[in-house]
Amino acid sequence: MANLGTLVALLVLPFAVGDYWTYQLGLYYLYAMVAVGLGLCWGQAGFLPLGQAMFFGISAYLSAILLKAMPGSYLIYLLLPLAALASGVLALLIGLMVFRRDGGSGPFFSLITLALSMLAFQIASNWNSVTGGFNGLAGIPSLPGIDDFRANYYLAAVALVVVLTLATWLYRAPLGVLWRAIAQNERRVALFGFNPHRYKAIAFAVSGFFAGLAGALYAPQQGLVSPQVVGFAFSAELLVWTAVGGRGRLYGPVLGTLLVGSMTGEMRDGVPYWEVIMAGFFMLVVLVFPQGVIGLFTPVTDRLRRSFDRARQRARIEAPARAEVAAQEPLTIEAARVSASGINILNDLTVAFPPKGVACVIGPNGAGKTSTFNLITGELPASAGSVKVGALDITNQAPYQVARLGFGRKLQAPSVFPELSIGDNLAIALWSNGARPLDLLRLSLRRWSSPIIAELAMRYAFLGKEESPASDLSHGERQILELAMALAVQPRILLLDEPCAGLSADETSRAVDVIRWAAERLGNAVIIIEHDMALVRRIADRVMVLHNGALLAEGSVADIQANPAVQAVYVGGQK
Amino acid sequence: MDPLIITQILNILFGVTTLAMIALGLAITFGMLGVLNLAHGEFVMMGAFCALVVDRAGAPFLLAVPLALLVCGGVGLVVELLLIRPLYRRPFDTLVATWGLSLLLRKLAEAGFGLGFNSVAVPLAGTTTLFGTDYPTYRLVLIVICIAIIAALFAWYGTSRAGLKIKAMVGNPDLARALGMPVKRLATTTFVVGSCLAGLAGVMVAPLVPVHPYLGLDYVIKSFFVLVVGGLGSVLGVVAGTGVIGGLDSVMSALFGSTQAYFTVLVVAILFLWLKPRGLFAHG
Amino acid sequence: MPPFMIIDRRTMLAGTAGALAAGIVPGALRRAVAADGEFKIGLLIPLSGPAALFGPSNQGCAELAADEVNAAGGVLGRKIKLIPTDAGAAPAEVAKSVVRLMLEEKVDLVIGSHDSAVRQAVEATVKGKGAKSFYLIGNDYVWARNSNEAAKSYISAGGGTIAGEEYVPLGAPNRFEEIVTRIKGAKPDVVLITVIGADNVNFNRAFASFGLDKDITRLAFLLEENTLQGIGAESSGNLYSCMAYFANVGSEANQKFKAAMKAKFGDKVPQLSTLGADAYAGVHCAKALVDKAGSTEAAAVAAASQGLSFATAGGTATMTGRHVDKDMYLALCKATEFEVVKTFEKIASGQSCPV
Repeated sequence: MANLGTLVALLVLPFAVGDYWTYQLGLYYLYAMVAVGLGLCWGQAGFLPLGQAMFFGISAYLSAILLKAMPGSYLIYLLLPLAALASGVLALLIGLMVFRRDGGSGPFFSLITLALSMLAFQIASNWNSVTGGFNGLAGIPSLPGIDDFRANYYLAAVALVVVLTLATWLYRAPLGVLWRAIAQNERRVALFGFNPHRYKAIAFAVSGFFAGLAGALYAPQQGLVSPQVVGFAFSAELLVWTAVGGRGRLYGPVLGTLLVGSMTGEMRDGVPYWEVIMAGFFMLVVLVFPQGVIGLFTPVTDRLRRSFDRARQRARIEAPARAEVAAQEPLTIEAARVSASGINILNDLTVAFPPKGVACVIGPNGAGKTSTFNLITGELPASAGSVKVGALDITNQAPYQVARLGFGRKLQAPSVFPELSIGDNLAIALWSNGARPLDLLRLSLRRWSSPIIAELAMRYAFLGKEESPASDLSHGERQILELAMALAVQPRILLLDEPCAGLSADETSRAVDVIRWAAERLGNAVIIIEHDMALVRRIADRVMVLHNGALLAEGSVADIQANPAVQAVYVGGQK
Repeated sequence: MDPLIITQILNILFGVTTLAMIALGLAITFGMLGVLNLAHGEFVMMGAFCALVVDRAGAPFLLAVPLALLVCGGVGLVVELLLIRPLYRRPFDTLVATWGLSLLLRKLAEAGFGLGFNSVAVPLAGTTTLFGTDYPTYRLVLIVICIAIIAALFAWYGTSRAGLKIKAMVGNPDLARALGMPVKRLATTTFVVGSCLAGLAGVMVAPLVPVHPYLGLDYVIKSFFVLVVGGLGSVLGVVAGTGVIGGLDSVMSALFGSTQAYFTVLVVAILFLWLKPRGLFAHG
Repeated sequence: MPPFMIIDRRTMLAGTAGALAAGIVPGALRRAVAADGEFKIGLLIPLSGPAALFGPSNQGCAELAADEVNAAGGVLGRKIKLIPTDAGAAPAEVAKSVVRLMLEEKVDLVIGSHDSAVRQAVEATVKGKGAKSFYLIGNDYVWARNSNEAAKSYISAGGGTIAGEEYVPLGAPNRFEEIVTRIKGAKPDVVLITVIGADNVNFNRAFASFGLDKDITRLAFLLEENTLQGIGAESSGNLYSCMAYFANVGSEANQKFKAAMKAKFGDKVPQLSTLGADAYAGVHCAKALVDKAGSTEAAAVAAASQGLSFATAGGTATMTGRHVDKDMYLALCKATEFEVVKTFEKIASGQSCPV
């Protein structure tokens, strides 16, 4: 809708602003396409590439070479998208290679992209035979059929709207929700069985493709491609435009590019200290107004959208049920050793959890309880020993791989995605076992629901307020939301780390009921870390006691309470 | 030994020590506070302009040192309070905000001094004969001063209480605060010290390069590479990082040429960022 | 609707007509020229970034040229109006990254007029100083490499030898200690310098601080007033520059040009340099070309360029084919001033432009 309006507005604009601006804006629309991609990475997926110009420039060079090789041929309209795709593929490869490493998506990723664009600049400046060296490639013919600046303007406007439409779709699709979730809590996303590195690489690839598309059109529009188009200075400008316009919203980067970018060209001549003012303004935006200029309008547009959405209530769709597992199998840990900086956290831990029922893991602080969970879900590497489900060895698999085998986990501190709605929080859990990768592009997945969630919503009314953001919830409600998310996965093995921490006595009692109900309904194994012995007595079928990273005792609650070794540890600890 | 080889060895030493000097301030702010200060180069630039002002006034060159400490320290203090403090633990925002700051400082320098190249007269002009080769005296003195400053910082950080406190603060700021340590004041002090070191480095390089508002750009990127290779949070890392980056740069350009050296440095930096982001001394 | 066209210095100096035809000016813009009203010339000049240092000079000189053309009846009977546009508007034209931007500006300047001077300058040093061995240092890009290729052939033709040849990357933070050390070891008579901008300053300062300036002559092919300011008096001994314009050129045309600038701007005359002088020539060239062609059609303009004469700060220049013939000067640095020691008259650009 909004994009259609934008298209119409862009198409009539030349009649209002005159030739000069028509020419200028044609160029800035291309830049805006790159900025949209930057906004997608930074504002949605939460990583900041500093070398977007590289993807723009590589495609611009490719396009220039192709255009010069076949002037006037209409075949070029098929080849230009391929040039853009080349940038996208390069971004995908860089993303896949970099994100899986330690540096992840923090400042190291940003510095890598920065260094890569500096490298690209040097290659472009020195590879004379291909890039024309420092002087670049000049005399690039226009696209056939596009013979004046007005036609170029319309081409750029249409390209920008195409990019905006694609981005709108991605932002609304489950994929976009996952990107935002990754930006807020990457670990949590991995524990739902999604490989966050892959999804970030996809975001990077999309941004590279957008930049590539802009670059491919830049070459015929400007007729000259020189190394500056791959360099850092251009990337940095894109960063400013995106930040000032508002990185979190689709239209923010566009607004920033058109306002700051094109205005700067004009104002610099007329207004003294324009750049000093801009630099100050830019810092102010980062400091006090991270939503950017677009943030001034979002309260209004969001309200409009909400009332629009309310007008057409959308029905929920039943999520596909999880494929039933033929037989439940026990989870066994054998002689597992985990160490960090020379200290053994788990010391030849051997323990077997039954395939059904509630098991509680207790032990004094530092016994290795949470580390055991981290070992199981693949977050702590074992230096020796093994973790198995039945006969399947899952030792040292990546967290998302383990999660896909049917593990659900609730972390100790409530870890929901605060900036997503309650509905989206729960939907992510549903996607984690019911969605094939391509399904994540289907908008209808946003409306998935399941009987378990419906039943949970009967117990906890706030879970039914699908549209309200999770950040509005109290601590206790977040605990319940995360528990609900863990249950919605319908895990074969559910790991709960102090699920009732911070809850009142009343809330605790309701939560225990829910856990017991779920364990019976799902017929799965539930493993709970718990401190509160009263609670353990109420909930546990079996108790494991850890001490110094090894199993001290195991048995029914009564056995454990009578066990002298356990008493010694607990009493000893209190001396 | 061939005097030319001795000269090249001195060149490598000179390249490494001056780079370490410039990277040191950044290492303190980035490594200890986690602040990616992209405006670090502009503090170097301000230091160089202090030297220019002193030079133009006809005052002795050494006066530039207190002036630069005052100016860069003062600006650093204001910047920490207004810009850095609200953004701790938001690394991208810090990065972007300090980039804005670097723009601002450059533009202000431009407004004050214009865009032209300026030159500062070299103190201790002329050459000194060392191991049978002539080497510019000022560069020799710089090598000695840089080593002295780095050694002093090494000793201070390793042994003093302040160093211990900063280590504690970096390791666990919440705990440090709970223990009653003035975390905020310590952070401010650290940032100001980093800024002062940058200014000092600026004074030192001023007589060697054209002094202009865009001077800082040249240094900041290479300094970041140094930190990446060396790893964060220790003086030893900075020394090792400059050893690798500065050494590679100097050796490659002595053996092959500057273009090859620049390529090598970029590629090595990328490999480190990618494969060993925690630097040379990281395990695993 | 305002008619306009853009002539940038690159277009201008790359051998105007050929470059116009080659489409460096986006083809889309040409259609917009109408037949009435003012003749608007978009002037792409650096107004931001470190090259903005040259902006006032470029703009001032171009304005003077526009005044002169308008006083003489304008272009095709229409008055020129300059529309200064920041070259920072398009990253292809300029990056904000300063050094690069400035370098690129200089590239523009170099392409049209500098290749040819290498020969005269080299010959002058060989004859005047009896120089036998040369060391070549340049930025790693096409102009420097082409110039040095040309220089090498003149040197070997004159019986000289090449003691060494080095290139440093453009736009990178370069250090020159290693290179200066190698030069010291090679002991050449002359160093030919084709590094530009900040690199030019850095190199020359390092060179002098190693004490090499006393025995070795330096000859730079792109060293104008501002760069010399950065090099400083103590590092500019035995340093020559060879270019098409120096503010200190004693020619009658230049005196007139300087007086006209003084009359127009009073005390606020911007620093005159070869870059400003090119902007001045650019406007005059545009007038002469378009007047002769009778239109701005690329083909007509291309045809008109042959044998065209137009005013420059240094005197009248004539175009031959795609190249401009003009006077070149060899100047010796005295502290931070240039002193013209030799004039090469009507030098034709000998090589085709690399654009």
